[in-house]
Amino acid sequence: MAERYLTIALRFFIIGLGVLWSAFPIYMVVSSSFKTHIDIFAVPSKFLFTPTLDNYRQLLSDWPEFLDGLLNSLIITTGATLLTAIVSLLAGYAYSRYQSRMLTASAFFMILVRMLPPLVVTIPLFPIINWLELNDTHAILIVLYAAFFVSLSTWILKTFIDQIPRELEEAAEVEGASLMQRLIKIILPLSVHGMVAACVFVVVFSWNEYMFALIFTSSAAKTAPLVLAEISGSLEGVQWGVLFAAATLQLAPILIFVLLVQKYIVTGLTAGAVKG
Amino acid sequence: MFEDKRWLPTLMVSPVLLLLIVMIGIPSIFVAWLSLTESTLGAQSTFVGLDNYRQIFSDRIFWRATINTFVIVNVVVYAELIIAMLLALALNCKFFGKGLIFSILIAPYAVSEVSAVVMWQYAFEPDVGTFNLLLEQLFGIDFNWSRNPFHGLTLIAILSIWIHLPFTLIILYSAISTVPEDLKSAARIEGATERQVFRLVTFRIIAPAVLIALMFRYIFAMRLFSEAWLLTEGGPARLTEVLGIYLFRSAFRYFDFGPAAATGIAMQFLSLLVASFYLYRLYKGMKANG
Repeated sequence: MAERYLTIALRFFIIGLGVLWSAFPIYMVVSSSFKTHIDIFAVPSKFLFTPTLDNYRQLLSDWPEFLDGLLNSLIITTGATLLTAIVSLLAGYAYSRYQSRMLTASAFFMILVRMLPPLVVTIPLFPIINWLELNDTHAILIVLYAAFFVSLSTWILKTFIDQIPRELEEAAEVEGASLMQRLIKIILPLSVHGMVAACVFVVVFSWNEYMFALIFTSSAAKTAPLVLAEISGSLEGVQWGVLFAAATLQLAPILIFVLLVQKYIVTGLTAGAVKG
Repeated sequence: MFEDKRWLPTLMVSPVLLLLIVMIGIPSIFVAWLSLTESTLGAQSTFVGLDNYRQIFSDRIFWRATINTFVIVNVVVYAELIIAMLLALALNCKFFGKGLIFSILIAPYAVSEVSAVVMWQYAFEPDVGTFNLLLEQLFGIDFNWSRNPFHGLTLIAILSIWIHLPFTLIILYSAISTVPEDLKSAARIEGATERQVFRLVTFRIIAPAVLIALMFRYIFAMRLFSEAWLLTEGGPARLTEVLGIYLFRSAFRYFDFGPAAATGIAMQFLSLLVASFYLYRLYKGMKANG
């Protein structure tokens, strides 16, 4: 019996450490964003303090481009997600319902390109994108972000569509439903969970991405993480509060989103990473 | 069963394939050609054979970056594996508030590299950060990551582990929860200790998932760029550079695309090497299925 209690104690000790490890850095920054700059580096760190919105006010007056950054991030995330969802649904359906040598070969190709480091493609893309005058546009980031997630999303959707009985479609086909109608009226409603699971990853990636944005945007399409990095880079002494306010604003929406769709992240990852 | 239109499936997968070919496939191959030429912005490129490879292979900084990458990748991947395994085993039982705990554990997945750098910079800010003060008071360590390259690399590794732990945790946790309880109880009835149950039952069942999680983490960890760039920019004196930073600096700071492309080819080669066993197995499986 003693051994049993020991295992339980160990279990909760490990979980406790894990929770502390995961939550502490987030808690520190979010709570400090509501502190005055005197409280931010108070030793020992204050758990009880009078919250203030001063940092947020100062952020908006010093860094108006941060709001533009958030808006750009929103546009790019929405665009990349829609693009990924549409093309992955079509492809996922084809991989689920048809078989051919070409499909098998292309499925292999899709997994192969997932292994290639994204940074490498920027070298040839950079001059071409400049030449096409596509740098610093929303479109280029939308297409890039989608390109790096369509294979995962396609695979996740395929596994979901595999579970939709073909009989449903056959019945509709007998009644004269076209492929498009079947996709929209049968497959789409029945694979809503699959769509969410297929899209969460591109949503989180697009909202947070830094490297491509650093290389391919300069002002008009600059995303929130990039402005946040600039605020961080120009830090002088007392402006930590402003930085924390910006980090909190960038983090809050996506953190809430991740917590809401947590279940789909788990199913999506297991479907996409383990089997695909 | 469906309409006999042979072009239909091809048409349906073509947008995805087009995206992949144009944005990843062709550029990844074109890099090989760029690595054999000397080119910079706005200038005609000239063929130089293997000069770029000679150049990077004789560059001390390139080797430093390679070693840094190798060490960080291994530390990060195995640390994550061990921590995630412990957590997944600890979580593998029913208790009140488990959903909430799991949410907190995967919360770092939502944090961007930039925000994560802000968080850890704050905690480890020399002289004032909470963790720095703790390290100094408890162990007398002056953890100065912006001046000491070893400390810098340590912080980059900590940050990487922190951001990517949720991925490994989710995969291991799902794998462990598929291990049938009966099998474990049967082993216990036979007199197996908890350690034997793990080694002989649980681990054998989750081994394929562990292997795949490892492979993906190796490949993703090798891409390390943003965290390291934001934290140290490779400094001091380019001592904390990783391959990603070396490539980025050559391409987008010096606009010297040849050596950057050669570095890119090295990174691709390493990624595909790690993935090769997985790709080979997949290829055989697909061939067997038609």
